[in-house]
Amino acid sequence: MDLDQIIVHLNEILVSLKGIANAVDLQLRFGLVTGMVFGVLLQRAKVLRYDKQLAALRFQDFTILKFMMSTIIVGMIGTYFLYDQGLVKLSIKPTILGGTITGGLLFGVGWALLGYCPGTSMGALGEGRTDAFWGILGAVAGAALYAEMFPYLQDTLLKMHDYGKITLPQLLGVNHWIVIAGVSVIFLLSFMLMEKKGL
Amino acid sequence: MSKTREGWNPYLLGGLAGLLSVWSTYYTGKFFGASTSFVRAAAFVEDKVIPERAATLEYLVKNAAKMDWQMMFIIGIFIGALLSATLFGDFKFQAVPDMWKRHFGESAVSRGLVAFLGGAVAMFGARLADG
Repeated sequence: MDLDQIIVHLNEILVSLKGIANAVDLQLRFGLVTGMVFGVLLQRAKVLRYDKQLAALRFQDFTILKFMMSTIIVGMIGTYFLYDQGLVKLSIKPTILGGTITGGLLFGVGWALLGYCPGTSMGALGEGRTDAFWGILGAVAGAALYAEMFPYLQDTLLKMHDYGKITLPQLLGVNHWIVIAGVSVIFLLSFMLMEKKGL
Repeated sequence: MSKTREGWNPYLLGGLAGLLSVWSTYYTGKFFGASTSFVRAAAFVEDKVIPERAATLEYLVKNAAKMDWQMMFIIGIFIGALLSATLFGDFKFQAVPDMWKRHFGESAVSRGLVAFLGGAVAMFGARLADG
């Protein structure tokens, strides 16, 4: 290889590296903008607050449920619409009941103690709720503890009732739009009930 | 509806959040999430403080410290909430939430300790459930 060829190759490498850097950079920017819009939506619904989150857990105010279930309805319909067009890939997590049920119960206890979701605690901090900061530190500590216990959990809870990457439509043996319609109807009826009860 | 409960319509805002998530999935292939970033943060701290130990932990190696879409997403949530709260006059420094105060008193230390514990338990559970 002479010098010219090497330079051409180096140049090619440089261009592709630049491409990767730009792509990563673009992903980061999309992440930031998406998060910012989400933060505004959460803040405007006033669902970031401790009082609001605890009021939901105490069956006093279901604003959070209204927000989340509306997100699920639109997200579910939109994502599966794009999926049918072959425009998106689904990210299906394995159903491991040992992990999901135990983890879900622990999450609920932790959520009630903290009064913020670990993710939206960032938003609560943005509103000036400084107790969320301790929750965020706790969440990092919890993640570290999980990393320590991961080898043990892998041999125990994460082995119990592992059904792999299944979905409700597969399980029921029906088209996904039937499940989507069913869930939407149940959610809409729940909304009517919540409004009727003034929750 | 009492005055303290007022926010903008949660159905509309929740629906918009749904659209945002669909848009995000379409343009970047990213689904909303937060908890992996806390593992990356733990990896970041342990790499600095106890690097030998951190290198032996498969879970931290797998979720190594790095700036990625999700990390920017949760930083964005902070900035978006801060901007919105400031703009609409909702920003308030508060160490002890009102409801907590009514039941458990004014101590910011007790509140901080329980918040820390709650954050740890919730994150452990979220990771265990693969959420």
